[in-house]
Amino acid sequence: MKLSYLKGTIALAASVLSLAGVAMADTPSWCGPNKASLALLDGFGGNSWRLVTTASGAAEAALCPSITDYQYADGQGNTQKAISDIKSFAAKGVNALVVFGDAGPAVLPALKAATAAGSIVVPYRVDVGGEAGKDYTKFIGSSFKDDGVSWGNWIKGILPKGGNVLFLSGPAGNSQGLDELAGMKTVLDDSYKFINPEPFDVTNWDPSLTQQVLSAEIAKNDKIDVIVSDFGPSLVGALPVFKKFNRSIPALATSDGNSLGCFWTDNVKDNPDFKLFTVATGNDNVRLAVQWAVAEATGGTLPTEEIFKAPVFEDSVSGKPSAVQCRADLPGSIYLSAVMSGDDQAKAVTK
Amino acid sequence: MAQSPRKQPRQVSRFALAKGFVTVVISTLVLIGLCYAFAPSSLAAGALAGSLPFAAILMIVGLGQMLVVQQGGFDLSVAGGVSLSVVLATHYPSGDNAQLLPAVLIAYACAVAAGLVNGFIVGFVRLNAIVATIGMNALIYGVVFAVSGGVPRITTDLLAQIAGGDSFGLGHSVWIALGILIVTVFAMKKTIWGRKFEAIGANPLAAAAIGLDVRLYQMMAYVLAQLYYCSAGLLIAGITTQPTAFQGDSLLLPSVAVVVLGGTSLLGGRGFPISTAIAALFLNQLSQFAFAVGVPYSAQTIIQALALGLGIGIYSIHLPSYFNKINKLSNREEEDEAIVS
Repeated sequence: MKLSYLKGTIALAASVLSLAGVAMADTPSWCGPNKASLALLDGFGGNSWRLVTTASGAAEAALCPSITDYQYADGQGNTQKAISDIKSFAAKGVNALVVFGDAGPAVLPALKAATAAGSIVVPYRVDVGGEAGKDYTKFIGSSFKDDGVSWGNWIKGILPKGGNVLFLSGPAGNSQGLDELAGMKTVLDDSYKFINPEPFDVTNWDPSLTQQVLSAEIAKNDKIDVIVSDFGPSLVGALPVFKKFNRSIPALATSDGNSLGCFWTDNVKDNPDFKLFTVATGNDNVRLAVQWAVAEATGGTLPTEEIFKAPVFEDSVSGKPSAVQCRADLPGSIYLSAVMSGDDQAKAVTK
Repeated sequence: MAQSPRKQPRQVSRFALAKGFVTVVISTLVLIGLCYAFAPSSLAAGALAGSLPFAAILMIVGLGQMLVVQQGGFDLSVAGGVSLSVVLATHYPSGDNAQLLPAVLIAYACAVAAGLVNGFIVGFVRLNAIVATIGMNALIYGVVFAVSGGVPRITTDLLAQIAGGDSFGLGHSVWIALGILIVTVFAMKKTIWGRKFEAIGANPLAAAAIGLDVRLYQMMAYVLAQLYYCSAGLLIAGITTQPTAFQGDSLLLPSVAVVVLGGTSLLGGRGFPISTAIAALFLNQLSQFAFAVGVPYSAQTIIQALALGLGIGIYSIHLPSYFNKINKLSNREEEDEAIVS
């Protein structure tokens, strides 16, 4: 009895030690030993992309056991609420703030105040102005120009002799669209004609406006060789418009989404010109920002990457790095390019 | 004090009756001429097939707004009403066709509830319509967030087929909008309730004096309006496949614009459903024209604003005197109301 008790104790101790060893080995290098609290502050949380992004941020923070408390706030597209969220979390003494500054430089004063109050502040994806190291700790941007370069290279591959390009982006003057255009123009010469009004067709990333703009463009242009859009899923409702003109859907260079992958799978037979190329939508941008914030707050090793580069995801022509993916069993509003598994994303968007 | 408001409406509303129709038809014909000359692609069959469903949606929303305007009110909860039905129609079924009917019924039930609250606050509590409906809009958006977290799901195939399909060369949404228009015209012009509704809008005091239930009719305007918004939201959910939770936002101003372009007086009274419907076509074709001429976005916005300004501005131009006779009755009604207000 006594022996077996001892044996049991030893076995338990050994297993605890081995578990601890596994945990040590699994703790990422950016997770330091100091305990810290973390908050993810969203400027606008109301679409499926944001839900997946938020869940991805939470999953990344959960990898670090030194993070004792994780909180989230949604600015609901209201700049004043976003500012008050930042200020109140800093006042509560949260150690690290990861901020999606949708309102741009409007949130800079709040970020400055939070930094002055002693929080680690890491804005990401949307440029908030100011200076890293002074106004906030670090800005983790996304290279939209690289997306443009990736699209440009693919367009060159499928249309070596040039062609007509239709570029759709979000609200007028948004910096993402301008950067993407600059990226494309570094690759595409004058033989590629942009048939949209300069610099891009404004869609506000709104599916109904996208549909109206696209019908007008199709009617106006007899020859559209390739459509470029920085939010692929918003085109799903609009692309069937080509059928009303008895034309094939042309090649499409865009960002990924399960609904788009499934739309391609369902429609490629009837639309011989429909080739699809996607870059990752960039849900994992938040992971890099969380890594930086956690590393700074817990004394971990700082990541080497400073800018999130969205990888190329699907290419229906070469099948590399991936053929077009469709998970018809999961919601259309998930992004199979994200690190988080499709099933976990489905839970995040349907909870 | 009584003298100056007495003169003012006489000038403004002299041609309000027939002029609404004449103005909007002329404006639309001129616009079609301009499209033909400068942007023929906007009149191509495919372009019309792509844009008419959105004109249909605007038409339905505009008719709803018209009912409220006829009672001298404004309904700013258009955005919330439309967005809520989009969210309900996509969130509950979550792709399952069998769940669509219950979702649609829930959407209509919510619309009736919102309309009743709006109507009660404006009709019975006598709160200013703008204030009441702004509050209701915020409340409805609260429900939108509670239901969906701001994220509607992808439309069911069945709804996409019903709202987005084609029959006899036109989109189903266009047929549905025409059906709603015909019912509205018939109900308003040929039924006792419709005639009472217009009479109450023209002069609530006189209507009350002859024993009409003014408050009930005013409340019903808001309920019916919400039903129209709900229908429009269901069509949007079907047409756009992957809608946002805020689809109604962009409809608020156009919904008022088509009512004004259609000639319905903002002081209330007689409604012009057909003119309002044509105004929806006009606004839709106007944005298609702006897209098709291929000018930068800033210029597109300016073109739309100018055309809208001109369309409404025609009201200040005097037409031949025979319109005066037609409008005499209506003038007197509005004059009385101006004195009252």
